[in-house]
Amino acid sequence: MTPLEILTAAVNGAPAPRIPVFCNLFDHGAGELGISAKEYFSRGENVAEGQLRLRARYGQDNVWSLFYVGKEAELFGCQDILFSDNGPPNVASFVINDYDDIAKLEVPEDITAHPAWAETGKCLDILRREVGATHPICAYVTASSTLPSILMGMEKWMELLLSGPADVRDELLRKCSDFFQKEVAAYRAGGANVLVYSTPFGSTSFVGAKRFREFSIPWMKRDLAPGGIGGIVYYCGMAPFNNVIDTVMDEFGIGAYYISPQADLAEAKAIIGPRALTCGVIDDIKMIHWTAEQTRAEVKRMCDIGKPGGHFLFGNGVMPLAVPEENIRAMVDSAMEFGATP
Amino acid sequence: MLDTILQAYKDAVYDTDKEAAFEVVDAALDQGVSPEDIVFKVVIPAVETMMAEITKDPDTNLAQHFMTAQIAAEVTEKMLAKFQHPPAIVGRIVIGTAAGDLHSLGKRIVSGCLKALMVEVFDIGVNVRPERFVEAALEHDAQVIAISAMMVHTATGEDGCRKVRELLREQGLEHRFRLVVGGAPYRFDNELYKSVGADAWAPDGVSAGKIIIDQILAVKPLEVKPS
Repeated sequence: MTPLEILTAAVNGAPAPRIPVFCNLFDHGAGELGISAKEYFSRGENVAEGQLRLRARYGQDNVWSLFYVGKEAELFGCQDILFSDNGPPNVASFVINDYDDIAKLEVPEDITAHPAWAETGKCLDILRREVGATHPICAYVTASSTLPSILMGMEKWMELLLSGPADVRDELLRKCSDFFQKEVAAYRAGGANVLVYSTPFGSTSFVGAKRFREFSIPWMKRDLAPGGIGGIVYYCGMAPFNNVIDTVMDEFGIGAYYISPQADLAEAKAIIGPRALTCGVIDDIKMIHWTAEQTRAEVKRMCDIGKPGGHFLFGNGVMPLAVPEENIRAMVDSAMEFGATP
Repeated sequence: MLDTILQAYKDAVYDTDKEAAFEVVDAALDQGVSPEDIVFKVVIPAVETMMAEITKDPDTNLAQHFMTAQIAAEVTEKMLAKFQHPPAIVGRIVIGTAAGDLHSLGKRIVSGCLKALMVEVFDIGVNVRPERFVEAALEHDAQVIAISAMMVHTATGEDGCRKVRELLREQGLEHRFRLVVGGAPYRFDNELYKSVGADAWAPDGVSAGKIIIDQILAVKPLEVKPS
């Protein structure tokens, strides 16, 4: 079976030789090509080549079309990204600096025609051509309730959300939700089939239960309604969300949940059961200091929890560059080994 | 009466309702409660309660942390202007985000709580070079240097806490300043702070208040006058 078929089997609970094994490597591509991060992320060809080489090196099932999270801010006009050769790029200046900027904020009519999409489009074209028939292509799409944090900074966004004028907040959210709808459609059209829906405000680690019900859910509904939930993976930016899984399933029927390493994986698997895909996520920050054996032991522990009953995927967060290569290899290899079905 | 006011204020903060919290404070002032009592018998106990809640209840959330700090800092600032005499301060800290890190939320939560807890906070901004942390600590005669980092490479990199520790060592200043770190990477690996040379770490902005005060008192147990 191809990795794409293995993923489909896991989603549907059909027999497969092993569980799907994802390894998310973003910033490693620059080193793989021997160029700076700034140069690497300047061209879609580089990112696609980086992803293909990294997949060949470690053997994971997935590739990524994500350059860096700030790409979404670029589609809103951000032109200042802080690159680092040691970690992910960051938005260096925000497109919203005061509430008046929200009224001026423009959602691109056609995202795929925006210059900031051009390189992402090229990357997707290459990935689809090279591995689209056999491997999952992942995309990262930020929920409307979270996108303001990269447009105005998390600090200002929390201020507006919790104590700012409701009409201004809702105008911003409407624009972010419109953007989400267009962006997710563009990724789908471009060939991405695993759509990681980044929605930290969909976790009660970010907002209380009342605000989750009255704020997060309605905006998630608005985000997801037009395009549906095909390929959507519920992800709360590594925050735990076991306590809302049932609600999210009832409200949206989303078919995959990317569980925080800080959550109880056994509990998540028990909640989700055969209804959807449980994605077990290793704590890859601890992998910086672990040995390969410690990494392997943790992968085994997770597979022992997740594999029985199927509907399980192994994955990681955002692999830091400081994680030794042998640990990445140990992670992927042991997930393949312990995730094999007899 | 103060018990009722405290409970109403805590409820408002817990519900992240800033308007309601200010209504409680304004009503208390109208009833003749002194600004000093509002800070020392309402705001500070409420912050301390939230610190305790966080330890006991992992379901407290970022919005509550943010509003606890925000409301506490704003009420304290407003009340301080009405104090008969400036209050004694616990100590001084400089705080900033590590070089290459532009995430300011954690720093703001920490600063808000500390201001309410009578700690003088010198916020030196985001993307701060290690040399600047040391200069600022000397300039303000601080006891603690607090470094926030939301990304692994800024938490563990050569231009972050690690370098600040090295500078303190080179300049013979380790006895004068304690280093405290915070941010997402430290939550995922609770031993990480040691590897970057910090004296302590805080799992969230509100808990950081107590941790930083403990470190201030370890360096300078005496009361200091406001600058």
